[in-house]
Amino acid sequence: MATTAATRAAGGAAKAVKPIFSRDVDEAKRRARELYRAWYREVPNTVCIYQLDITTQQGREKLREMFNKNKHVTDPRVVDMLVIKGKMELQETINVWKQKTHIMRYFHESETPRPTDFLSKFYTGHDP
Amino acid sequence: AAYSVMLRLPAVSRALVGVSQSKSCLAPSSSVRLSIRASSNLVEVFVDGKPVMVEPGTTVLQACEKVGAQIPRFCYHDRLSVAGNCRMCLVEIERAPKPVAACAMPVMKGWNILTNSEKTRKAREGVMEFLLSNHPLDCPICDQGGECDLQDQSLMFGADRSRFTEGKRAVEDKNIGPLIKTIMTRCIQCTRCVRFASEIAGVEDLGTTGRGNDMQIGTYVEKMFMSELSGNVIDICPVGALTSKPYAFTSRPWETRKTESVDVLDAMGSNIVVSTRGGEVMRILPRLNEDVNEEWISDKTRFAYDGLKRQRLTQPMVKSASGDLVTTSWEDALTRVAGVLQGAHGSDVAAIAGGLADAEALMALKDLLNKLNSDTLCTEEVFPMTGAGTDLRSNYLLNSRITGIEECDLLLLIGTNPRYEAPLFNARIRKSWLHNELQVALVGHQVDLSYSYNHLGDSTQVLQDIAAGTHPYCQVLAMAKRPVVVVGSATLQRSDGAAIMKAVSTIAQNARTSSGVEDGWKVLNVLHRVASQVAALDLGYKPGVEAIRNNCPKVVFLLGADAGCITRQDLPKETFIIYQGHHGDVGAPMADVILPGAAYTEKKATYVNTEGRAQQTRVAVSPPGLAREDWKIIRAISELAGVSLPYDSTDEVRHRLAEVAPNLVRYDDVEEANYFRQANELSQTVNQALLADPLIPPQLSVKDFYMTDSISRASQTMAKCVKAVTEGAQAVEEPAIC
Amino acid sequence: MLSFSRVLVGSAVRAPTAAIAVSQCGTTSITRFNSTAAQQDKPKKTKFGPLADQDRIFTNLYGRHDWRLKGALSRGDWYKTKEILLKGVDWILNEIKVSGLRGRGGAGFPTGMKWGFMNKPSDGRPKYLVVNADEGEPGTCKDREIMRNDPHKLVEGCLIAGRAMGARAAYIYIRGEFYNESSNLQVAINEAYAAGLIGQNACCSGYDFDVYVARGAGAYICGEETALIESIEGKQGKPRLKPPFPADVGVFGCPTTVANVETVSVAPAICRRGGSWFATFGRERNSGTKLFNISGHVNTPCTVEEEMSIPLKELIERHAGGVRGGWDNLLCVIPGGSSTPLIPRSVCDDVLMDFDGLIQAQTGLGTAALIVMDKSTDVIRAIARLIEFYKHESCGQCTPCREGVDWMNKMMWRFVKGDAREAEIDMIWEISKQIEGHTICALGDGAAWPVQGLIRHFRPIMESRIAEFRQMKQATA
Repeated sequence: MATTAATRAAGGAAKAVKPIFSRDVDEAKRRARELYRAWYREVPNTVCIYQLDITTQQGREKLREMFNKNKHVTDPRVVDMLVIKGKMELQETINVWKQKTHIMRYFHESETPRPTDFLSKFYTGHDP
Repeated sequence: AAYSVMLRLPAVSRALVGVSQSKSCLAPSSSVRLSIRASSNLVEVFVDGKPVMVEPGTTVLQACEKVGAQIPRFCYHDRLSVAGNCRMCLVEIERAPKPVAACAMPVMKGWNILTNSEKTRKAREGVMEFLLSNHPLDCPICDQGGECDLQDQSLMFGADRSRFTEGKRAVEDKNIGPLIKTIMTRCIQCTRCVRFASEIAGVEDLGTTGRGNDMQIGTYVEKMFMSELSGNVIDICPVGALTSKPYAFTSRPWETRKTESVDVLDAMGSNIVVSTRGGEVMRILPRLNEDVNEEWISDKTRFAYDGLKRQRLTQPMVKSASGDLVTTSWEDALTRVAGVLQGAHGSDVAAIAGGLADAEALMALKDLLNKLNSDTLCTEEVFPMTGAGTDLRSNYLLNSRITGIEECDLLLLIGTNPRYEAPLFNARIRKSWLHNELQVALVGHQVDLSYSYNHLGDSTQVLQDIAAGTHPYCQVLAMAKRPVVVVGSATLQRSDGAAIMKAVSTIAQNARTSSGVEDGWKVLNVLHRVASQVAALDLGYKPGVEAIRNNCPKVVFLLGADAGCITRQDLPKETFIIYQGHHGDVGAPMADVILPGAAYTEKKATYVNTEGRAQQTRVAVSPPGLAREDWKIIRAISELAGVSLPYDSTDEVRHRLAEVAPNLVRYDDVEEANYFRQANELSQTVNQALLADPLIPPQLSVKDFYMTDSISRASQTMAKCVKAVTEGAQAVEEPAIC
Repeated sequence: MLSFSRVLVGSAVRAPTAAIAVSQCGTTSITRFNSTAAQQDKPKKTKFGPLADQDRIFTNLYGRHDWRLKGALSRGDWYKTKEILLKGVDWILNEIKVSGLRGRGGAGFPTGMKWGFMNKPSDGRPKYLVVNADEGEPGTCKDREIMRNDPHKLVEGCLIAGRAMGARAAYIYIRGEFYNESSNLQVAINEAYAAGLIGQNACCSGYDFDVYVARGAGAYICGEETALIESIEGKQGKPRLKPPFPADVGVFGCPTTVANVETVSVAPAICRRGGSWFATFGRERNSGTKLFNISGHVNTPCTVEEEMSIPLKELIERHAGGVRGGWDNLLCVIPGGSSTPLIPRSVCDDVLMDFDGLIQAQTGLGTAALIVMDKSTDVIRAIARLIEFYKHESCGQCTPCREGVDWMNKMMWRFVKGDAREAEIDMIWEISKQIEGHTICALGDGAAWPVQGLIRHFRPIMESRIAEFRQMKQATA
């Protein structure tokens, strides 16, 4: 949601906006690919260091899923910002500033889906 | 002065004056000013040099408020007479030798009021010092702390240190009942409570005794402050001398969350603020609404909130094979209900709505039953259906509105005791009686209404005579310019309700004709007793449970029906009774399934008051335990019963409400209702004889007032009140602390 | 209602004499009203008093003669009252105005003007005259002498004053303690009724006028005019807010004038002998004769009728037999009843006993009740006792008086012992200033002024008392 809003805002005043890093979309894509590769290489180490109960394959699938989530983004500024955030995540992961639960949060293991139909909501609690 | 007036002129003349001003010629401008004076008859005064035009007779304080200058005050209150005794509002008038009391002094032309001059500030500081000299420094243990006028104003206007080194005065506390706690040492003798009691509440219970520094506020002899509006003195007390006994030491104003809501314990729909802390209602305060309750609420509204925490239904219950009600899950309870409903159709299903049901639940219940091909939807309150019945809205509303009482010159009350059925309506009548010389007459049992009235007798014969024009009072009625007739819904519960309504309608119609009042003026009024009735009638519920008694339905759905108008014995043995409500009161014990609902503080719901004014409550706390909002329970049943209702959210329910009765969602608005003549014509078709029984409303004295519904019946505070008024204030045990 | 208050405020602002009086007396905020009639051309009278016997109005002040109707008639009361009444309202009012009579109850408001306020076109409500006979000011005992020994003067005065303001009836509110006075007054009223002097067609003038006596319950505050009205109405005697003034909304909601017994009682004599006769006594704007009460440390305390503006010293020496132990033994005098500030001997030497003269001396004429204190007096204790009286008599309605006077009382009794700090003298001065002018009625002012007078003139005594106490305490420690 926030990304789309930002894209729209950026698109509206594209000419005047100062770039973060990338001058055009291609450059931004290159940075995203670089980040993807770095993560891709890091996944086995992460699984090992954090003693995660997942396979490297599963980790890489999650990685791909996370990147795919933002694949619609075309504004280079937004892409750059996402890349910056991704790099921060990566650094925190490599330096073991995270704990196991923080990594596993990507997999939503402990979350149950909120009910959507009326009756389930009624049984669950007061809120609509 | 001339210059400042110019600023208030309309644009054209302002331009003209501008020209003359540049030539420093005064003649044209002063002539303009004179013409303005003559036309508007206003007086020009100055507040700190700022000009303001006010009506002659405006007080200094009002003039200051007009320009936004706040004058500190203790004894002055908008709705009470001016006492002028605290002297906190002293302000300097330029060129006057002494400061004047702003609350009492009418302004004179050309005065310059100095609200922040050295002299004014000195005067305030002096008064503040005197007030604090004998006031105890017990703010940390005072319940008024945080909302205390004395605290606030001493911070703003007081000196920064105390010079008082003498001993402080101590005053003995008084026991004036189980609602109001007195700490009389804190009293600053502003006499607001005395004036409230004698002017608004109409009881001369409070007064001052003693003289000078020994002056005390009290009840002369140790007795209870016997008024249904007594709790309001807690709000108007500027210090912590009068505080709420049930609320004592429970929370601080800054800890609580305030939710604006509406009261449902009578049909007035008083506007309230619900103070909550941590999912618990701590207290209920009035909210300003000039059209309904001004800034007062009745004691039941204010103090019955502890009933919300007791006797609550928190879990669904079903009757076991042994006949005991056992707790169960929603799934189980709802499945059972749905199963029963699926097996019954048409007239097999009936519903009774109680006095606290909200419009959303009423709507959902009606839709559910309609989907099951039943239209046996009743309310506990009876209203005569012959004649116009409930087809014409004007026939069952308080059409004149509450504010209309202030415009009328004659009020005829029939078979009602408004003092306890609708205390704030009674307060309005008293206000009008006091200030507008309203004449009041009553047909019905002679009761103390806190104002004098012409008692015409309590027999139905009187009613008939007035309707026929043979009663002596008819001459008085015929003289009235703006008459209002109010019939109490309590009286219409009688079996001859239709005949009474016919007589009342005729009286009203005759009064309208003889007064020659304009068409928009409403004469006929019905004063309801319960909050749900108008919404239920608007939605097409049938008043009275006669239909159910006669039909012997297989399934009866009680929606908060706690008035006991139908009992297990009235129904066939195999009838399945579903009770949905929030209190284990009269209705729940006879049920086969109990579905716990939400009380008015726990749901966002619509209530329509006796005027037909739609207002909404808001969620202050969540319903206890497994209790759910009422319309949702019905919506859930409908789904399980295979007749899903087409709404999932409150907004969607309200959308549906708007389809059926658009006035129910036009909040804080009163839909005009008319067709009085047609209603009267229809009432003439009624062929029912009046009974000989006297017209006696059920609530005669104050002890009948406190416990009238499932919430107030569950309230310990209300029980204490009943005990105190019957056995004396001493009979109620008090905690040992303070 | 509004128009009246405008008149009053307007007059206060406009009257140049009032402004002068204020500016002359510097810091004091005692304001008195002055009649505006000033005669420039007449040669100034310089010697005042003693009053010749033939000029006395109250000829039975000491009760040596019959006080009943017969005696009163022999002293000239009720003589041609009918003619006075028939001369009409304007004539009576004019005589009162010419006489320059000022209210004898303490404030000294020009009587002619006050009675004239009532002559507005009637709005249907009856008008009333209320006579303030609640003489409670410590030191004052003039009205009771009138009511006890010359009650017909008052009854006749009621009739004439009532006629002047078109009043329907007079209520005489008499202090509860004055049992004999009220009984004499009631007898006089009964006699007057029986003789047809009052009641229906009073004195055959075609004017109906009733006189009622209402007895108070002994509260000093009920001598305040609006508290008195409340008390007559049967409520707690607590002063009302002004405006509305009694002339608009008075007793039972009707236009009312409240006048002092002495003011009313001299009205017949003024009408009979002429306002100009009355005006020959005393200084300009302070004309007339006056009952003076002299009490305290004098050899022969007495009540005496004297000319206004008589020098204080002459008044005491001539009528009261001088100060006990001689004039040099005089410490101070409270010249106008307990609520006026005291004046020390140095001022007493040449001060004139009239409204303006005493205002110049930073005190007031009040009720002209002199309380004389010689050098044996503990003046701090005397004032403390007065404040205790005011504390006891405060009605408790408004904050400054209720709380402030109690506070002052507590402090004053510490000053008596000396158990205080010097700085507290300034503090009590400030407190008295915080009371003065901030209250509903004048009782607050009356309580504040004695303290102010004490501090103004006897501060050194207070300071030395404090020093003595401190030394004593150090010695015992």
